[in-house]
Amino acid sequence: MSEKPKIGVYTCYCGGNISHTVKCEQVAKVMADQPDVVISRTNMSLCSDAGQSQIEEDIRELGVNRVVIGACAPSLHEPTFRNTVVRAGLNPYLYHHVGLREQDSWVHSCDCDGATCKAVRLMSAGVAKARFLDPLEPIRLEAEKQALVIGGGVAGLRSALDIANQGLRVVLVEKSPFLGGRMAQLAKVFPTGEEAQRLLSELIDEVVQHPRIGVFIQTEVVGVSGYVGKYGIDLLQHGRGVTAENGEALAAGCTQFVPDEFNYNLTERKVIYKPYQGCYPALPAVDWDHYDGESILLNGKKEVLQDQAQPYQLTVGAIVVATGFDPYTPHTGEYGYGELPQVATLAELIRHLAVHPEAKSLRWNGRIVRDVVMVHCVGSREIEGVDALQEDGLVNNYCSRVCCTATLHMIEELHTHFPGLNIFDLYQDIRTYGRGHEEYYRSALSSGTRFVRYNGEDRPEVIAALEGDTHPVLVHVKDALTYNQELEIPADLVVLATGMQPRQIDDLVRMLKVSRGNDRFLLEVHPKLRPVETAVNGVILAGTAQGPMNIQESILAASAAAAKVVSLLGSGQVELQPFVAAVNAAKCDGTGACVEACEYEGAIALETLVENGKEVKRAVVTAANCSGCGACVSVCPNRAIDVQGWTLAQYEAMVDAIAMDIVDLVEAE
Amino acid sequence: MTKIHVDALVVGGGIAGMQTALDLGDQGYQVALVEKEPSVGGKMITLSKVFPTLDCCSCITTPKMSAVAHHPKIQLFTYCEVDRVDGQDGEFTVSVVQKPRYVNADICTGCRLCEYECPITVPSMFDRGLGSYHAVRVPFSTAVPQIAVLDIEYCLLCGKCEKVCPVGAVDFTQTPETFEIDTTSIVLATGFEMTDVSAKKEYGAGRLSNVIDPLMMERFLAPTGPYGRVLRPGDGMEPTTIAYVQCAGSRDETLGIEYCSRTCCMYAIKQSMLISGALPLAEVTIFYMDIRTFGKGYEQFYQNAKAMGVEFVRGKVASIQEDENHYPIVRVELTEEGRVVERTFDLVVLSLGMVLGDPLARFGLQPAEDGFASLPSVNASPWATTRPGVFVAGTAGGPMDIVDSIVTASAAASAASAYIRSKTQVSIEEGEVAYV
Amino acid sequence: MMPTETSSLSRGEMLKRLRAEHGESVERTQQLLREQKRVQQEVCKSIREKAKTVPEIAEELGMKPADVLWYLASFRKYGLVVEEGMCGDYPLYRKAEEK
Ligand SMILES: Cc1cc2nc3c(=O)[nH]c(=O)nc-3n(C[C@H](O)[C@H](O)[C@H](O)COP(=O)(O)OP(=O)(O)OC[C@H]3O[C@@H](n4cnc5c(N)ncnc54)[C@H](O)[C@@H]3O)c2cc1C
Ligand SMILES: Cc1cc2nc3c(=O)[nH]c(=O)nc-3n(C[C@H](O)[C@H](O)[C@H](O)COP(=O)(O)OP(=O)(O)OC[C@H]3O[C@@H](n4cnc5c(N)ncnc54)[C@H](O)[C@@H]3O)c2cc1C
Ligand code: SF4
Ligand code: SF4
Repeated sequence: MSEKPKIGVYTCYCGGNISHTVKCEQVAKVMADQPDVVISRTNMSLCSDAGQSQIEEDIRELGVNRVVIGACAPSLHEPTFRNTVVRAGLNPYLYHHVGLREQDSWVHSCDCDGATCKAVRLMSAGVAKARFLDPLEPIRLEAEKQALVIGGGVAGLRSALDIANQGLRVVLVEKSPFLGGRMAQLAKVFPTGEEAQRLLSELIDEVVQHPRIGVFIQTEVVGVSGYVGKYGIDLLQHGRGVTAENGEALAAGCTQFVPDEFNYNLTERKVIYKPYQGCYPALPAVDWDHYDGESILLNGKKEVLQDQAQPYQLTVGAIVVATGFDPYTPHTGEYGYGELPQVATLAELIRHLAVHPEAKSLRWNGRIVRDVVMVHCVGSREIEGVDALQEDGLVNNYCSRVCCTATLHMIEELHTHFPGLNIFDLYQDIRTYGRGHEEYYRSALSSGTRFVRYNGEDRPEVIAALEGDTHPVLVHVKDALTYNQELEIPADLVVLATGMQPRQIDDLVRMLKVSRGNDRFLLEVHPKLRPVETAVNGVILAGTAQGPMNIQESILAASAAAAKVVSLLGSGQVELQPFVAAVNAAKCDGTGACVEACEYEGAIALETLVENGKEVKRAVVTAANCSGCGACVSVCPNRAIDVQGWTLAQYEAMVDAIAMDIVDLVEAE
Repeated sequence: MTKIHVDALVVGGGIAGMQTALDLGDQGYQVALVEKEPSVGGKMITLSKVFPTLDCCSCITTPKMSAVAHHPKIQLFTYCEVDRVDGQDGEFTVSVVQKPRYVNADICTGCRLCEYECPITVPSMFDRGLGSYHAVRVPFSTAVPQIAVLDIEYCLLCGKCEKVCPVGAVDFTQTPETFEIDTTSIVLATGFEMTDVSAKKEYGAGRLSNVIDPLMMERFLAPTGPYGRVLRPGDGMEPTTIAYVQCAGSRDETLGIEYCSRTCCMYAIKQSMLISGALPLAEVTIFYMDIRTFGKGYEQFYQNAKAMGVEFVRGKVASIQEDENHYPIVRVELTEEGRVVERTFDLVVLSLGMVLGDPLARFGLQPAEDGFASLPSVNASPWATTRPGVFVAGTAGGPMDIVDSIVTASAAASAASAYIRSKTQVSIEEGEVAYV
Repeated sequence: MMPTETSSLSRGEMLKRLRAEHGESVERTQQLLREQKRVQQEVCKSIREKAKTVPEIAEELGMKPADVLWYLASFRKYGLVVEEGMCGDYPLYRKAEEK
């Protein structure tokens, strides 16, 4: 290090978040007396423009060449302050961030003196480290100007289209044999009353015709390697089993029937199938999971079909996860589901009506329906200790957001198509929050729907009626709208407004190393600062894989995801933090312990170099593959390796500072 | 007349507008961001802590404010109002009026000497009238830009500020100036206002001194608030019993505002939690019809508030009056018990709804029935207005919270970017790198 | 920031014009200033020796408590008064030491 360190220390109040517990002025005073510190200041909010300007000014005017900031967590504002010091002409890595909020004031809010002492120790360690900071350069890598979108529902489709429309190439991968996802299973959608399948086919047309989008259907992601800018992706595309020439004929000749999951198993379909007229692709597909391998008659000849799966490899710069949701499936017996035939889910009722478009009266299971009970929040807003646990031992304590409006929308549809129905709506809160949603609530009220408010701790019960009763099922509920009066509602059909849960994507979660929240949905970095990004660089979220959303919200999230992908890859280059291993070749004698200790492929290797005319082996790091974990550092017998930005010398200085005797310093105040 | 050429004009420097501008700037487009107030930040910068994470609001907002000011691709125009939008289909000419600050923005250093010297004290709109500043001032401590502005409506024309300014920035010769921005696309992020409480006679029409709007409570809870603590504005008492009246000015046919404002349930719950932190003895009661905590993590937030002891009472508040000591009396129909009761509180907060902030006509846009920008195809392109090339971000497109404002802002940026590409052959400078 | 147009008029002429254009508001503000000075004097006098609550000051000076609070908030912001403990549910305010 050539220049003498001149350290600027800044202790932020964080608008009170820190200063309510930590005596910031005192901390700043103690820091001012540390060696090499030329200025120590406090600020109400350092990240504000004024706060940042102060730092810049000190760099320019006082010649500060190392900056230590005690503030919120580095995950929040490290990038902010790196930019600040850069603006003042300093290398961005000559700044060190101390987390005084998450690591101190928030966790010790009852102990001001203790928290202040701890702040002094943490800041002293920061100052000690700062003396050993060296300028570093970020690792600049070529980025592949191509993105992978996983999931061909409305969110994935929209995201792919938006990325491509902004000049990048896209590969869209859909696991099932048809595009469109869950939206294809809807009929008319709120809040506009448009036909879901028509909206979808317009979007799909644009996607498949786009010159920069490649679509892989019936394809799974089976391998992910690499890093942002250059992810290596392994795909496995299953065979369609049929061709354009023989598809329809094979489907006609097929005699194997299986439950049709597109209709939630209310109907059956062939194993060579199209889910609905107008689907994309229009060519039927073979359902390999259920195909029994028996031969199928084609033009008098017997054909046995085989899944000729085809692997593909590609390189992409970023990945959008748009794997969507599954409707919640009630446990057997939950509100009588699976046991009483007159209990259905809302999703099933939507399919039932779609399959019987001409029906003059509502029939369920052969029975004419006059009295319908809708139950909200099934599998949502569950309460720990009250509701049965889900398979993973958790309860679904979140609100699924779409079911209230979807239910009231359904009530309007039912009243329109089958005038004279008696509808009861059992709810906790009606959450018609969106533009054009409250209208469905008012419509249901004016059409005579009887609203009954139940308490989440006392959910309604659905039981079988006695034989010979007028109705097949009885619903018991306490109505909070009429002083908790107990009601018994005889019903012909009970419709459960089931919520949303994420699809089963354990494999993908493992391969991408993304995290999930307690609700099992994929987790964003920060709901306000980076609402569609994951903690894994270059892996972005779109649509209901992240949490319950309606179509409009899924589209918005998808477009936001596209904006992030384009910002990331648009220039063809990405920058990575330089916190990777670096070998001091002068100290390395090629033992290779580091290579053995390293868990990351291609991160470190022994190479043969020529030194003073002699061939020697030396460890060489490939920065892009190095995670900066430091496993190599700990095994090197010669202390020849360090992780840049976190060197052993820096750690030692920090430990000394943390352990120093500070009681006098603080109490002297 | 000065003329500027940009790829995108973003109107409104609230959180939505700033995010759109940053996203477009990061993609290499030339962006103009026009804000009518002297500082960017919008409503968000006046908030205390924000749900659902309870981050301190300035920690989220001020860095974005700083980023738009320093971004090499963003030109920031504050204290400027859009006057007219001419043209169509990717060729818009927007005339903008720079209002006079009476302070030379190029040389003002934001030292605030003028502010301290100014003899007249005026109600601070940043504190919703409950705090104060001087006729010339830097609008608030974290304002961007840090430049003073002189409010001519309250100015004595005494010239004291002019004398004290060390750089001679005070300038009484400024006049409004119109300039033009040529742009390919426009993103409207003009935000919201709260429902006008004066229309709600039953709730005192804003005349009861201890019945306040929720943005006032945000200021009380903020570290920089007018009193530095929570007090009721009527007489400076630290309130112990506090009521929230939900759907005040939303879901209300009598006001013609039939929609749900989406944010008021959550901000009321948030404020209750923050009040419990600030005033441990306080008892907070929330009168509501439905609690709409629908967002990610929001239901949990609601349950936490319940567990903390916030009282949730289902009931429709019929009226609010005050007793002779100005304690508000809430008359509420308790739906669960089927009776009407009257309860007296120290302080009542009206959870007011959101209405459109700025008229749409000057942008050549039609309002929908609810007053917000009409969005003809929400299930296909929810950012598109009735005018091609004009997109919407944040609450200009309907009530929503910050999370949703930011997502819609990024979505609008995506849409604008695709539109700009389709209209021009923009060349994003080679060699620019995204910061990871 | 847009360079704001500077009028071709001189500063003096401009001030004259502003005075003419804003005559009404200047007059209103001058009255306001007199009122503010009076209140400031009275409030500061009232709490120079003894810290008081808003209702106490209001009662003493015959003002609306809400107005007193507004003034106190402003004085507090600019360092004229400080808070000093509580009396029941009401904070006490006292004149700050002269610097
Ligand atoms: C009963 C009900 C009614 C509704 N009604 C409405 C309404 O009227 N209006 C409205 O706006 N919204 C409505 N919704 C919500 C709407 O269905 C969703 O917002 C929308 O479908 C979400 O789209 P998505 O793309 O996020 O997910 P999905 O539609 O689930 O799409 C995800 C796609 O990803 C694919 N995929 C999953 N895993 C993988 C993998 N590992 N690899 C590759 N591909 C994968 C899936 O096959 C699927 O095609 C309703 C929802 C329900 C449950
Ligand atoms: C009391 C309260 C508490 C809240 N708390 C939270 C919370 O804790 N968490 C949360 O997520 N959300 C919260 N919200 C919601 C949040 O405030 C909004 O979601 C957010 O501020 C909307 O941002 P915006 O940019 O759309 O609008 P705005 O903040 O209104 O910004 C619009 C900007 O445009 C400017 N502008 C308007 N017209 C023009 C024009 N013609 N020319 C130029 N500029 C113009 C305005 O001056 C303003 O700066 C709260 C809301 C309220 C009322
Ligand atoms: S949207 Fe309505 S039905 Fe669905 S979980 Fe939320 S409150 Fe329950
Ligand atoms: S968010 Fe809650 S308080 Fe606001 S209008 Fe909707 S239901 Fe009413």
